[in-house]
Amino acid sequence: MRGLLLSLGAVVLAFIAAPLLIVVPMSFSSAASLEFPPPGWTTAYYGAFFGDARWTQPTINSILIALAVAVLTMAMVTPATFALVRHRFAGKSTINLLLMLPLAVPHIVIAIGYYAYLSDLRLLQTFPGVILAHTALSVPMAFLVLSASLKGFDRSLERAAMSLGASPAATFRHVTLPVLWPGFAAAALFAFIQSFDETVVALFVSGRDSMTLPRKMFDSIRTTADPVIAVVSTLLFFTVAALVILPMLWRSFSRSRS
Amino acid sequence: MSTPYLELRGLGKSYDGRTRALDNVSLTAAKGEFITFLGPSGSGKTTTLMLVAGFESASEGDILIEGRSIGRVPPHKRGIGVVFQNYALFPHRTAAENVAFPLLMRKMPKAQAMAKAAEMLGLVGLERFGGRYPREMSGGQQQRVALARALVFDPALLLLDEPLGALDKNLREQMQIEIKAVQRRLGVTTIFVTHDQSEAMAMSDRIVVFDGGRIQQVGAPLDIYRYPSSSFVARFVGDSNILAARLTDPAGGQAEIAGIGTVRVPALPAARAGDAIELLLRPECLKPGSGLDNAARLTVDVIVHFGDSALVTGHAGGTPLRARLEGLAAQGISAGDTLPLSWATSSSHVIGRDAAG
Repeated sequence: MRGLLLSLGAVVLAFIAAPLLIVVPMSFSSAASLEFPPPGWTTAYYGAFFGDARWTQPTINSILIALAVAVLTMAMVTPATFALVRHRFAGKSTINLLLMLPLAVPHIVIAIGYYAYLSDLRLLQTFPGVILAHTALSVPMAFLVLSASLKGFDRSLERAAMSLGASPAATFRHVTLPVLWPGFAAAALFAFIQSFDETVVALFVSGRDSMTLPRKMFDSIRTTADPVIAVVSTLLFFTVAALVILPMLWRSFSRSRS
Repeated sequence: MSTPYLELRGLGKSYDGRTRALDNVSLTAAKGEFITFLGPSGSGKTTTLMLVAGFESASEGDILIEGRSIGRVPPHKRGIGVVFQNYALFPHRTAAENVAFPLLMRKMPKAQAMAKAAEMLGLVGLERFGGRYPREMSGGQQQRVALARALVFDPALLLLDEPLGALDKNLREQMQIEIKAVQRRLGVTTIFVTHDQSEAMAMSDRIVVFDGGRIQQVGAPLDIYRYPSSSFVARFVGDSNILAARLTDPAGGQAEIAGIGTVRVPALPAARAGDAIELLLRPECLKPGSGLDNAARLTVDVIVHFGDSALVTGHAGGTPLRARLEGLAAQGISAGDTLPLSWATSSSHVIGRDAAG
């Protein structure tokens, strides 16, 4: 029984973790195309990635777009979350549904919709176009994360601050914001990552000057399929993993220290 | 009459415009008084506290401190210290920073504020805990920090919203004494909200009993215990026997109780013979033997020993009766026994009629 469970666990691990990790050895491969196991080892393709503007420019584009998406998402989601969590008003459930809609609609449908919509607005293949489309996709996740932390927020903290002489603005600055800070950070991080690795919509609405990294990878695998893709995948994997894991480590570290 | 320190004038609150959470609550308090709002949940005691703190606005009425209305003053300008049920300490600030917070909000220089906070923490016995975060402190310690924070800025009023509810019994009794001692030392006028009648009895100068959004009775703890104005108050404050009786001689103080017979009651000159009354007999006023003014024979159903005392539940004729006897006197009593009991007329009270003593 125990052996069976162990081997089942190994199989699950092999199918979930192996595809994630197989790109790491492939990125050091000396082969001309993607193959596993690698015939030999070199770091040459890392040099090829960092030295080639056709790769570095989409990387910079993706980072800029994801940053803008995170900022825009938080600017819209923050007031929306406070309104939806703390107040009752007519049409509240409809608005809630609208906010969550991008999660339910298939990305390809959204992509086609934005393709038609942005071309009418002459925003197709521009930075603002990609940013708008990605923000729409990021809003539901950011809203879910932020509303979960806001629901768990004890409002008697705000009442206490007010009774102690803090004006509403001072209460938000000294109590609400610092206490909810991890929730805000997590929501912004999710928005950033969502945009950074989004591919389907980017395929449709990004263009030559606004090309994102996932789109460049997609184009590249159809044409050359060299180990640079494995290099990018490896870098992406460790960057995103670090973004998610480092805050957790930092929090548990600061907790254990104090 | 001089202006009272605190006055609640006809406070009313309705959340939906129809049902009333609070109705015509009026009360005055003297400076330094410790007043407890006592009542079951939903009785209006916490709503009244929220109105005084300014977290909710009254639908009717006004609140005055030293004759000045604060009904329209926002909470952060009222200068009222509040201790919440869950303490509401700021989790991202140390104990000392929590206590210094109201001083910093009042633009006191940081060094001075921290010094005053340390002094206040000393007053509640936490001089060495200033650098701790709330999550590193026990419930009782957090409670003391919350108290220090609510008192450090010399508030016009101290409000305590069921602050001891989360503590275990021993700690709760210790905190009752500590809160009372600090309150007396600083002389701050205090409103304490609780649903625990023994807590109210132990701490208060006066108790205000709430039910159904209204004040049922206001008085000193022992007066409320001995002379409740309604059967609700009699049941809510302390253990009770409430016996239905019929007056036979109001002026002479005689009544008839089914199953017990004729008893003496406090004289009620204004009442008429034949009036139905409710007679309150506290269980501890029933004594074994027949030496006192009125006698009854109790058939024991259940006896529970607590060591220092024992609670005997049974009936006299058809009338259910509870008696609390001294522990030693109750030794050897068992279910099915018949027990002679008696009580002094002066220890009984006719509910809802003016006490004649």
